[in-house]
Parts: sequence; structure tokens; C-alpha cells
Amino acid sequence: MNVEILHRPANTAAKITLDPNEECTSEGGAMIAMSGDMRVATAVNRHTGSLGRTILTGVSRQIAREGYFLNTFTAGPSGGDLYLGTHLPGDMTMIELTGTTTLKVQSGAFVAHEQGVAMGIVWEGLKSMFSGERLIWLEMRGTGKVLINAFGMIYPIHVDGEYVVDTGNIAAYEATLDYSVTKAGGSWVSSFLGGEGLVARFSGRGTVWCQTHADRVFGSRLTPHLKPRKEK
Amino acid sequence: MAESGAMQSMSAELTMQAVPNGGIVSALGKRMFGGESFFVSRFTNTTSRTLRVTIAQDIPGDIVEMPLHHGEEVVLQRGAYLGHAGDVQLKAAWAGFISWFSGEGLVHLRARSESTGTVYFGAYGAIIKRRIEEELKVDDGHLVAYDPALTLKVSLSGGLFASVFGGEGFVTRVIGTGDVYIQTRSVRGLAAWLNPKFR
Repeated sequence: MNVEILHRPANTAAKITLDPNEECTSEGGAMIAMSGDMRVATAVNRHTGSLGRTILTGVSRQIAREGYFLNTFTAGPSGGDLYLGTHLPGDMTMIELTGTTTLKVQSGAFVAHEQGVAMGIVWEGLKSMFSGERLIWLEMRGTGKVLINAFGMIYPIHVDGEYVVDTGNIAAYEATLDYSVTKAGGSWVSSFLGGEGLVARFSGRGTVWCQTHADRVFGSRLTPHLKPRKEK
Repeated sequence: MAESGAMQSMSAELTMQAVPNGGIVSALGKRMFGGESFFVSRFTNTTSRTLRVTIAQDIPGDIVEMPLHHGEEVVLQRGAYLGHAGDVQLKAAWAGFISWFSGEGLVHLRARSESTGTVYFGAYGAIIKRRIEEELKVDDGHLVAYDPALTLKVSLSGGLFASVFGGEGFVTRVIGTGDVYIQTRSVRGLAAWLNPKFR
């Protein structure tokens, strides 16, 4: 699987080239165009066993805003390609997993992953709830490429020691890092008066991918300006 | 010549005239079925100096400048046409129920030049130019323009289950050999994100 990211940062699309019979799994609705002989299979999860577990996986992915179903694209006998895009203006980035690290991805940021990668869903617990962020994160393990997207641009920060990121601007991070939700400034008063509120303080060694804008924040800015439709 | 309303700025010495979009009947057809305006603007430079006009589209996105020579033709999907210069004939052509079915309208535009001309068309998002050798499937609402040598067919993106639940719905099968222009975003996709925000 070869990934070429085109037209960054606002109009980004990814061109994915697959070898013969190679597979790539994407979120539903991301496909813009594909080779004529590409096969598409829709499933909740290709590797879960029991029905109960399958439903649970789908529902939690629904809560994670990634949609109940995933599409798996399989190239034909001579290989093929596939263009993936998103609805909103924004960036994409490709992260290569080497099998040793786990990648945590903000729910909603996932676009696609290579065959050797397994996607799980994790509950981040109360620290995530207090920070006003999502409770559920996606966890990528295995070996292969992962494609993520964000509303706004994505930039990596290599952390060695400590680094502070606004809780709304984390797109993904390596699980070699841990974070705690804390105040941004020296005191709680200055943190809130300064408008930063809660931030994530990362510690350890690894990479965090930040996004310059968050669609949720933009959406909440937009909503008060939208006029309700008249009841008919 | 430019789509009505596309002019952003121009030299004050230019003459601008609103003319029906390629004859009254043809203009009516384009207006009613092709999603284009009845009138287009014609800019004429009657001076001996070089003057400038700037045209732009309503939506943020790329514009393609496509030279056409000696019988070359391009098919533009609904709303993609922005303007042209030199010898370019625009014809509203029957796109077929297939096109209507995929939400692109019953009529599309064919731009053709007998000698030399340039046509400008735009999209929402970036435009990817792609050479097709056999077949490419393009998602609904992402096709902008294509070589008339290519034929279009509508099909489900996968099986019935995959198409309904996989979020891809219908796709347009573009078959043959030629260039196709696709846009990286779709206005319908933006609307799908916006709609839940209305309370």
C-alpha cells in the first residue's frame, strides 16, 4: 500500500495505490474514486468472532463518530488505486506503525489503515470527560500505515520530556506518551481567564500529532448563528 | 466570455455585455436543465492596450484552464463552467437519465473548439486530473469534467449491503480511455456535516 497525500492542507485527498489483491480498510463514505475492478466489502469488523461482540464494536464505533460500518477495498489482479477524501476542508497525514508502538487516534480522525493494522476502541475514562473531549479513542496496533484527517492542518510534535497541547487539538499520539489533564497556566485563575482552560500535559518520549482547528469547536461557534427552520 | 456573476474585477475600459448563453433556445435549455445561467457576460477590449478581467467562482476551490484545439471537446458537469476565451462553442447536451439519477442533472455542457480556444471550469476543493485506461469508479458528486470519448454508467459502489451501509451509495463508472477531472470535496458532503447543526 502506497499513500500519496495530495493538495494539502485544505483540499487534501489521499491517493492509495494497492498491489494485486492487497487490502485497505477505510471509514464509510470517504471514497472519492477508485479503479473499476476494486472490490468493496462492508463489515463492522472483519476479525471479530461472535455476533454480540460485533454489535458492541459497531455501536462503540458509532459513539466514536466513525460510523457503524467500515469499507474494505481489495485491489484486482493487476493492482489498483483509490482516492479518499473527507467532507470538511482539512489536512491528512500518514503514520507508519512498526509493531512496537500503539497509536491513539482521536475519534473522528480516522480515515484508513493498511491490512496489518488492527483497530480497537478504548475508553479514556474520566480525565477525558473532564477535559470536555471525547470519551472514546481509537487504538491502532500492528504493522502498517494509518491515515488520519483533521479539520485544519496537522503537524507533528516530537516530545521528549513534557509538552502541553490544548485538549481540543490532539489528533493522535503514540502510546509511549501519557498525558494528564491539567491547567494551562501557573494558576487555575489565569488558565480560565486566559481562555485556555484545560490542557493535556504529555510526558514521555514519542510523537503527538496536533490539529490547528477542531471541527467540534467550529461547529459550536457556528450553531448559535444558524436560524432554526420554521415549522411547517 | 464568463458565467454571469463570475466577474470580480476588470479594467474600466472593458465593455461588458450580457448575452444569451449560445442562442435563446440553447440558453433556455442550459438554464432549465444544465444548472447554468441564461445569460453569460461577454467582455470586449475595444482599446489598443492590454486590459485585464478577473473571474472567479462562488465556491472555494481550484480552477482548471484547459486549451482546446481543432475539434477537441470536453464535457462539463452541472455548474462547473466558469468562462472561455477564443473559439469555443458551448452546447447543452442530453446527459441521460443516468446523470440525473446520480444527481448531476439531465443536461451537461459540451465545450468544443474548431480552431483554438480555452475553457475555464472550477470545482469545490482541489481538482485531480486522472488518466483512465480502462475504468474508474467516481463517487456521486465528485465528477467535474471528462473527455467525451469516455462513457458513464451508474452502479452501486459494491454489493447492495456495502452500498447502503458503507456510506458510498451510487458511483459513476467512467469507462474508456481519456482524462477525467474529479474534485476532492463535495458540496453535498459539507451540507451533510452542516445539517445536524441546525436545531
